[in-house]
Amino acid sequence: MQVEFRETGIYLPEIDLWLDNTEPCSATWISHGHSDHARGCHGRVIGTPATLRIYRMRLWLEEGEEEPETLPLEFGECMDWNRAALTAYPASHILGAAQLLIEYGGERLVYTGDMKLRQPLCGDTTEPIPCDRLIIESTFGLPIYKLLDREDAAARIITFARGCIEDGAVPAFIGYPLGRGQEIAHVLCQGGIRTAVHGAIAKFIPVYEDYGYQFPGWEPYDARATAGKALVVVPSHGNVLEASGKNIRLAYVSGWAALDNARSRSGAEQLIPYSDHADFGELLATVEKCSPKHVDVVHGYTVPFAKILQARGYSAAAPLRESARTNIEAEG
Amino acid sequence: MNRLALVCEDIASHASRLKKVAILADYLRTLNDRDLQLAVQFLSAGPALEEAVNHSLFELEEKTRLSIGHSILRDALQIASGWDLDTLRVCQAEVGDMGETTGLLMRGISEARPLTLSDANEIYQRLFRTRESARKRDLLVATYRETDALTVKYFVKVITRSLRIGLMSRQVEEAVAAACDVPHEAVRDANNRLGDLARVALAARHGELSAIEARLFHPMEFMLAKPLDKLEDLPSPAEWIVEDKYDGIRSQVHYQSGYVRIYSRGMEEVTGAFPEIRRAFEPLPGNGLIDGEILAWRDGRALNFNVLQQRLARKNVRATLMAEVPVVFMGYDMLLHNDRLLLHEPIEDRRRILVDTLGLLPSPILVSPELAAIDHSEIDRLFTLARERGNEGLLLKQRGSIYEPGKRGGAWQKLKRPYGTLDVVITSAEQGSGRRATVFSDYTFAVRSPQGFVNIGKAYSGLTDVEVKELTKVLRAASTDRFGPVMVVRPEAVLEVAFDGVQKSSRHKSGYALRFPRILRWRRDKTPGECDDIARVEALYKATVQ
Repeated sequence: MQVEFRETGIYLPEIDLWLDNTEPCSATWISHGHSDHARGCHGRVIGTPATLRIYRMRLWLEEGEEEPETLPLEFGECMDWNRAALTAYPASHILGAAQLLIEYGGERLVYTGDMKLRQPLCGDTTEPIPCDRLIIESTFGLPIYKLLDREDAAARIITFARGCIEDGAVPAFIGYPLGRGQEIAHVLCQGGIRTAVHGAIAKFIPVYEDYGYQFPGWEPYDARATAGKALVVVPSHGNVLEASGKNIRLAYVSGWAALDNARSRSGAEQLIPYSDHADFGELLATVEKCSPKHVDVVHGYTVPFAKILQARGYSAAAPLRESARTNIEAEG
Repeated sequence: MNRLALVCEDIASHASRLKKVAILADYLRTLNDRDLQLAVQFLSAGPALEEAVNHSLFELEEKTRLSIGHSILRDALQIASGWDLDTLRVCQAEVGDMGETTGLLMRGISEARPLTLSDANEIYQRLFRTRESARKRDLLVATYRETDALTVKYFVKVITRSLRIGLMSRQVEEAVAAACDVPHEAVRDANNRLGDLARVALAARHGELSAIEARLFHPMEFMLAKPLDKLEDLPSPAEWIVEDKYDGIRSQVHYQSGYVRIYSRGMEEVTGAFPEIRRAFEPLPGNGLIDGEILAWRDGRALNFNVLQQRLARKNVRATLMAEVPVVFMGYDMLLHNDRLLLHEPIEDRRRILVDTLGLLPSPILVSPELAAIDHSEIDRLFTLARERGNEGLLLKQRGSIYEPGKRGGAWQKLKRPYGTLDVVITSAEQGSGRRATVFSDYTFAVRSPQGFVNIGKAYSGLTDVEVKELTKVLRAASTDRFGPVMVVRPEAVLEVAFDGVQKSSRHKSGYALRFPRILRWRRDKTPGECDDIARVEALYKATVQ
């Protein structure tokens, strides 16, 4: 199957389908709702129902633009597309995130999108999908990254929040607006801690609730009433809190928190290395279990990770030749 | 060592300084004498060669420092972890710390055997004694493979002396004091005399701090002068010894029977940069510690600090540079003389011993002239004379005062007054940090020139919060480009800045930089066309070089 790697996304010319194209096009698969994947007004959009719902919430139509036609594909369902068969599998990333299996002319191609193998705090478990060709991300594709699993992350979040509140301080968790923010809020609420959630994160709580995740007693964040509560805020608001002079203690929940330099980067004292991306070990395990004939590495440490795969005997390439940490600001 | 590693991680994950000190103090309290000494040694100074510890007064620093090059550490990690060099390089670049990289990459590989503080010290001692790189490397490999990965992280950090847990040396002293139930001041004084916090900790625990004698060849803390804003605020003018305030490198010379070391204010050893000063002290009998200033000097007066900087950057100095930039040591205080610590003697006595000691020495050793005045107007006149000699201003030292290391207590006062002021225009602005994270509080500014506005400096202090907020609005409206936290603006907003000198600089397009620029006021009444121009800057510079 022909695969073209372009700046805006990946194109499959034989079946006229884009994967995560960020510029308007006739038809694209959207792996999940983060804005570096789900954006642009396309002719037709294929994605899981949850992803399509988030995509529509985030879509901003210019004058004269028409609402795209959305084609929902449930996990495990198969769809015919220009003589190919498309099947969605969970990617265990954010709510609705999916890997896509494309079968065409007897070849199996898997596009992981952003993924992880371990079960997320909110989301489905997954399995690597055996295939001939694998297109995989490598956000944390270096052996220095080893991240916490959900139980340990939840325990760290709860322990930090309780400890701060007992000391009369206000715990504030820095999380990304979609995915991490809701996961942290979910854990805190389930742990019986009063939780105030920043608006950019709270916006997506109803979507998570519709898929069965509970946020008992959550309240909107109000800078004037923080005592006795845990706060969940977006990264940019972390600086504001740090500067507020109140007795705030910041925790950074992110894959980047695996390194000590995340303290100076984020301003947080507590580092909780938990992500919705696979860590290095999970990436290697995914490749091993998929046992593909060829691997393309497309996000993050693409060049070093492709080299590591080559050293293990895989045919691997970094077609876009992103070097180290191009997505430093990306949601990790 | 396993516990020390956990304690360090705990310290790192608390932002509160009090909490950091409390965690460390709790840990130190639980240790026996030997472990207390080792833990404090590792945290404060890195490994120490044991044979050297008992030299009381005279100790060669370079012999007692464990020096293991980056390439040996990297080779050891490569062998122990099995990762190739390319991967190691990317990992090291992301992490930015060899100890942390080593700890991260040894996870799941090392055997997780415990390592006591004594075990770690034993390995450090073997590294000291081993000459051959390959054998040092093999010893490291074996240690990495056997030891728990988090412990390895700190085992390496102690070698590279880069703990990066947000613990300053002052806080280690505080923790030692708290753990031994003695006042922080007592620990600090003893450590200033001895320069060995590990031994100080042991003495503190056994109530023997006052018995600690001074030792040479480690930098002591300098006494500092308080800025005197208005001369009229100085009480009883006749009660002060007056000296010129020199614009050089504040330094201490330590000497003992031909062995000489020079330490600068940044606690760096700079002996190699000033061989003529070292040689001049070599003939002195006995021992001593002199506080003073290194100055570039020609025809009986100090040259611009800029000139002196050419000397500082060198480890070894060529004869041509020594001839181009001649230097002197201007001594002004004596802290130790023939094994007697003089800190608590009055300044008059210290000066007398200084003059007696240095009076025998030829150039390039000088003693700072002692002046006196009976009233404010005479001090004012001395200030003008000091300026005419090319010096920064005056230093006033209270008669009868003792030497207070590390203090800015007011027994010394400095009278500087700005060298000049300029009207400049803001060309770019940067977001502040902390309390000023949401406003643009750091400004790069320019003067007029035939080629348009050329940058000459950067300043961030002097405006009130309200002014900064308002100015941020004005600058946002004039913004033309943005690079992360930096915003480029059209040259519109005019500031009046004060500064202490002009020097040549390749950093700014104007070719000059201001020393200690600070903002006096925001000149809303002025347009960019009314700013000062480059010709005025050139004239100010020339006035100081000649």
